Amino acid sequence: MPEILGARELVVALGGGRRGLLGRRTAAVRAVDGVSLSIAEGETFGIVGESGCGKTTLARTLLGLQREATGEILLDGRRASGRAPPAARRDRAAVQYVHQDPGAALDPWWRVGATMDEGLRIHGVRDAGQRAARIAEMLEAVGLDAAMAVRYPHELSGGQQRRIGLARILLLRPRVVILDEPTAGLDLSVQAAVLRLLRDLRGRFGLTYVFISHDLSVVRRVCDRIAVMYLGRIVEEGSAEQVFAAPRHPYTRALLAAAPHLDGRASTAPPLTGDPPSLRAVPPGCRFHPRCALARAECAVTPPPTDTVAAGHAVACHRWRETVDAPEKVPA
Amino acid sequence: MIAPVLSVQRLSVRIGAARILDDVSLAVPAGGTLGVVGESGCGKSTLLRAILGILPRGAEVPGGAVLFGGRDILADGGASARGRIGFVPQDPYLSLNPVFRAGDQILEIMRRHAPGTRRDHRARLVELFRAVQLPEPEAALAKYPHQFSGGQRQRLLIAAALCCDPALLVADEPTTALDVTTQREILALLQGLAAARGLALLFVTHDFGVLASLCESVTVLYAGRVAESGPTRDVLDDPRHPYTRMLLACHPDRATALAGIPGTVPAATAQPDGCRFHPRCPLARGDCALDVPQPVLHRGRVIACPYHAEALPEVALA
Amino acid sequence: MTALRHILRDPVATFGLLLVLAAVVVALFAPWLAPYPDDAFESHLLQRLRAPSAEFPFGTDNLGRDILSRVILGTRDALTVALAVVGAAIAIGVPVGLLAGWREGWLAETLMRVTDVFLAVPQLILALALGQLMAPGIGTAMVALALTYWPFFARTVFAETRRLRGALFVDALAGIGAHPARILLLHVLPNAAPAILVRATIGMGFTILTAALLGFLGVGAAPPSPDWGLMVSEARQHLPEAWWFPTFPGLAILLLVLGFNLLGDGLRDAADPRLRRSRGH
Repeated sequence: MPEILGARELVVALGGGRRGLLGRRTAAVRAVDGVSLSIAEGETFGIVGESGCGKTTLARTLLGLQREATGEILLDGRRASGRAPPAARRDRAAVQYVHQDPGAALDPWWRVGATMDEGLRIHGVRDAGQRAARIAEMLEAVGLDAAMAVRYPHELSGGQQRRIGLARILLLRPRVVILDEPTAGLDLSVQAAVLRLLRDLRGRFGLTYVFISHDLSVVRRVCDRIAVMYLGRIVEEGSAEQVFAAPRHPYTRALLAAAPHLDGRASTAPPLTGDPPSLRAVPPGCRFHPRCALARAECAVTPPPTDTVAAGHAVACHRWRETVDAPEKVPA
Repeated sequence: MIAPVLSVQRLSVRIGAARILDDVSLAVPAGGTLGVVGESGCGKSTLLRAILGILPRGAEVPGGAVLFGGRDILADGGASARGRIGFVPQDPYLSLNPVFRAGDQILEIMRRHAPGTRRDHRARLVELFRAVQLPEPEAALAKYPHQFSGGQRQRLLIAAALCCDPALLVADEPTTALDVTTQREILALLQGLAAARGLALLFVTHDFGVLASLCESVTVLYAGRVAESGPTRDVLDDPRHPYTRMLLACHPDRATALAGIPGTVPAATAQPDGCRFHPRCPLARGDCALDVPQPVLHRGRVIACPYHAEALPEVALA
Repeated sequence: MTALRHILRDPVATFGLLLVLAAVVVALFAPWLAPYPDDAFESHLLQRLRAPSAEFPFGTDNLGRDILSRVILGTRDALTVALAVVGAAIAIGVPVGLLAGWREGWLAETLMRVTDVFLAVPQLILALALGQLMAPGIGTAMVALALTYWPFFARTVFAETRRLRGALFVDALAGIGAHPARILLLHVLPNAAPAILVRATIGMGFTILTAALLGFLGVGAAPPSPDWGLMVSEARQHLPEAWWFPTFPGLAILLLVLGFNLLGDGLRDAADPRLRRSRGH
């Protein structure tokens, strides 16, 4: 499948500049620092990492809500970056974003139908009848009754809010949908229904998903390929099978080991030590080295290059060759 | 059988027309760990409140008791439990007042519930901070909540829960707001503390993975009733109640993860008659809508379904 | 109307609402309600300072005018002045607050510093000064009141806009490409409306009180108009004999101000959108 959305050496600086007339000048932090990725049409691309790793900033930059400092974003192989937010957002209108908390992403004073209608209006659908027809069709597609349109957001359940959040975005006919923690806070049975809906919609509308999540079990279940982020960088990337069955980066391995599993087996890997990462104090060399059990002197000095482990499987670690020992077995 | 430190006996709770809990029984043995799982609307939070003796105004208890140390918590408005049951809340960010020092907030609890002078309390708290592995325990006393990270705040709250030397620790999804690596540390800490101090743990969660790694036994709630309870390993490996079976089938570690359960959890004001799961149950038949299923004992487990031995139809798990 | 039902469940707010409604009815039908509608301006020196009686329930004033009629006729002026002042304050304060709250940078800073400067000016002093500069009168008083009251709206709307600017639904709108003007006018403003409404209601009471005070000090309404503050002022020379003369206009001021304040407090709770329902109106 051809690449639909790509990033080359993307760097995003947050903050910086002065706040207010007499404010102090604050230092910028590089929330995303040299990220390259290539998302193929029709796939579900997972981005995992812990809070503060830069996954949300990366998503906002891909969308065009945040301006990149350097690097490029490609849409259908064409450069679609370099402009400031409102224009950049228009350049990349084929990419849309579904918020983590879809209830809070709806204006509490607007009926959900009006919110959906507004999106179509903004996107230039002038004919009211056409808008109504498309809304009715989309409500049906996400498995909601057309009568839902007259409800207020707080009258919907968590699962219904998520469906509305999706419907509202899909109305705009995107090709790439960035899903930010689409199952966070959902009960298991509702989560199952939402995941099934996402799968069905992907087939029905020919969508490509960027799936941001910290729930590794879910990511494993639904993603085709996965990128693991740590402190603004991608440390490992590969197919879901490669990353879960044979993780090579020590951070990926620690992350997988920490995730609780149904079989309740105690993890054999030692827990991570050291402070959680902070963008305000990025370590030199490999960013993970202060917490890495395999770290050597070299790791504190030289940033690791991105090596290819196998076709489609890349890792940024000086010592990845030493992590071949049997990875933890993950039940299929 | 060790005498339970906490036992909830046939507890029912109503708020107005809403039947929040109905005939719920469970027991936490001394030094044992019990997990309570269930989806939104199953009555988890009301059960927690009953155990902590803080049922909301307007809640009626038509029957049942919550026995802690041999006394009914509900009868004395929670007075006998105060300080003796430690509580670890869900959200470490919302549970501390940002304008006061974290240490002072915990010392205030100790002043009210623990014997000894302020000096004793400070010494004990530093000891506790050390036990929950907060870095620089002495300096932590003078810090404000925002000066701690999420994981450290959860450690603070665990220290607060332990400050009056409780016999039972009740935790309400204490790791939901945390990253997996931090979650793992907190779970290990709780496990270590419980073992070292002979604490009993009651763990409310919706995460079966957490349950599997931490709890010896489990009680599954559905719509205010106990669906199934028993040793965690047995329940997870071979769930018998149709609800437990279908819920576990939704876990993303299972190949059936996208199956889901048809229908939705009933509102507490509109509970169906008979078995509350029957409108969603593939095994349901005529009498399920009429009779409340009596709990059956089956290999060390209690299952509220007379048809638990039957296989689920394949389509239900597809 | 769920907000209304919410108010009606709150007895204190209901009392406030009744007081305000009563004042509005009285103001609308004043010429028909007043027993002697001409007494606004006409004097009858033969019947001056009569005590309350069946003929004159509130008594008469120093020029023999029926105080009940003048209190009734004064309601209209009091409400009109308050509405005009609050309306003008909203017209200045809301756009300033929206703009300053939405934008970051020198414009926002400048707007809010100007707001602070106006906030620091004491109302009465400004009114007295304007009275010296321009002709003292009700118009001058209104200008002074509006000039000193708009910063309250600016600050309220500023705070609401700052809060809403970070709200997820605003972010989502920016995400689907909504123009800032659309977000501000159709989303931020309605969400800020409860706060504006509460501020306006309390502002009505506040303005009525201050307008009466200005009338009392002689820089507001001019005789012979039936202004409550003016009436209290004129009554001073006839105390303590004619106790009814200041009492009834004073009572009118008290009740109306109280009404607006109680209603404002009730609205604060009632205007919460989480209480809205789509069905069962």
